[in-house]
Amino acid sequence: MSQVGNIVRLSFRDYTHEWRMSGCFIFSLAAVLAPLMILFGLKFGIVSSMVTQLIENPVNREIRSIGSGHYKQQWFDQFRDRNDVEFIIPKTRALAATMQLKSETAKRILTAELLATARRDPLLANLAKTPWDYYQIILSQSAAKKLNVNKGDQIDASLARQFQGKRERVHLKVNVIDIADAAVASRSVAFVHLDLLLATEQFKDGRAVPDLGWHGDVINEASRSYPSFRLYAASIYDVATLVKVLEEQGVRVKTNVAEIATVQSIDQNLSIIFWIIACVGAAGFAFSLGASLWANVDRKKKDLSVLRLIGFKSGRIVLFPVMQSLYTAVLGWLLAVLVYLVFEQLINRFLAPRLNLEQTLCFLLSEHFFWALGLTVGIAMLAAIMGGMRAANIEPSDGLRDI
Amino acid sequence: MTSIVYSLRNVVKERLVENAGFRLKVPSIDIHAGENIALVGHSGCGKSTLMDILALVLHPDKADRFLIDPVDGEADDIDDFWRRKKRNRLSRIRKQHIGYVLQSGGLLPYLSVRENIELPRKLLKLPDDDSINSISRVLGIHRQLDKLPGLLSAGERQRAAFARALSHRPSILLADEPTAALDPITARKIMAVVMELIKGLKITLITASHDWAHVYRMDLRVLRQEAGPAEDGRIYESTFRD
Repeated sequence: MSQVGNIVRLSFRDYTHEWRMSGCFIFSLAAVLAPLMILFGLKFGIVSSMVTQLIENPVNREIRSIGSGHYKQQWFDQFRDRNDVEFIIPKTRALAATMQLKSETAKRILTAELLATARRDPLLANLAKTPWDYYQIILSQSAAKKLNVNKGDQIDASLARQFQGKRERVHLKVNVIDIADAAVASRSVAFVHLDLLLATEQFKDGRAVPDLGWHGDVINEASRSYPSFRLYAASIYDVATLVKVLEEQGVRVKTNVAEIATVQSIDQNLSIIFWIIACVGAAGFAFSLGASLWANVDRKKKDLSVLRLIGFKSGRIVLFPVMQSLYTAVLGWLLAVLVYLVFEQLINRFLAPRLNLEQTLCFLLSEHFFWALGLTVGIAMLAAIMGGMRAANIEPSDGLRDI
Repeated sequence: MTSIVYSLRNVVKERLVENAGFRLKVPSIDIHAGENIALVGHSGCGKSTLMDILALVLHPDKADRFLIDPVDGEADDIDDFWRRKKRNRLSRIRKQHIGYVLQSGGLLPYLSVRENIELPRKLLKLPDDDSINSISRVLGIHRQLDKLPGLLSAGERQRAAFARALSHRPSILLADEPTAALDPITARKIMAVVMELIKGLKITLITASHDWAHVYRMDLRVLRQEAGPAEDGRIYESTFRD
């Protein structure tokens, strides 16, 4: 066996022989690391998930136009291509964007507001399906409740108009492909394909919709424009830029700027507080671990002197405390992770419900555990190498007289 | 005439604090291969310091000559190795040619007696033969091989320490008051066995002791030691010479 192999074997034998002392080192490491991990877990659990939830809430990222405009398809395409825009879709005139809905399981006829939707609509991000033709519809929870329908049901959609002095009504059988979350809209809203929204407007304006067999005036529109839009920024941090761009184009808009500022302020202040605590904790952890491992090297001076007397090279001797520090670092980290996981469960199961919080109160990502391991092993190695170098550089006779 | 294993001229080691303390001087010592040498003197006279210098684990402050030639080949200049910080060269000489028995044994507490004795052999990658069993049998510790040192008596620990120092067949055996902690009868028994062993193996023995009677009984060549105050009494100076 090589000298390195011998040293690794001897360091492990000594480590297991002095299991009480090794256990104390492991416990003392875990005692500092575990609270630090719980602190981080709470930071990521409470702050990150709460703030992320606020930041990611599409309502905070929505930019609403005030009044009516003339927005061409090209204008929409330009905004859709921007990195700071997550989603944009045209809106038609509010009065023309309603439809009467009737189901077989409910007596009442419901007038629902129509909103065009498409893939990657932030309001419907949780849903798997998106309407892709005239005959598919997603209802807000309020609408679904009033109509007493579920996902997969078929309902009757109808439109009425006054055309050439006569009142007309057309019917369309549409499938409810999904129900939106309650948080999306408290109103009775039907999310439909843009084609159906446009067809509704055309019909109400007395124009024909050949695709659906609805007669009326035929007007060739070379390039139609839309009076409004539904626009969502990629993040709340992009809202200000987009507002500036729109205002430069003369578009008056309304946003949740005040709410965004509050959220950003909470995010920044809490992050600063947590990072201060975390940095102080990490520094304390580094000094505590470094000091205990340094002391361990001092304690091992006698044994290291004997090994040098027998003929081990100075450079190899450094490996002895380094390996023992590595054992302590890995086992201490493992114990800290176990302690953390127990506390994570306790906090999330018992404390979170008492605080009426929906989100997870304490959690860490898997990479956080590996960062903790890297930090622990890094500090342990540094302390052990420094201590080991000192032990290897002193004359071997210094430790022998204590044997 | 046998070859010279150690050759020292004007070797000095000082342990001073504010120009007061202890000084060890070795004006001239030549130790031949196979010789059995005793460093005799009272406690604190520098026996252990000289033993450490001879074991290459303590750097002398000054040396006009410090040569070692354990196998009758080309002598190594130890003072040069120390000055040029060639610590691995010193380690190699210790590993191959020197066995050192400390006053309290110096066994590693986390290894069994067998593993302690095997360690120098493993370091030299010597084959696993019957030598551990045979040397343990001669020293009377063959029943203790699988125990940890902490479970042995003081005498057994010293026997194990001798076994470890001899297991790799060194050409030099250094023993620093190896029987100081033992009762006279046990001490005599152990040293008798060790003397038999080293005679058979043609090993050069250098042992430190404060027991004159014991040394004379073992028929060892004693290095002369003088000690006294020097430099207005601020320094206690001890000299060992041939």
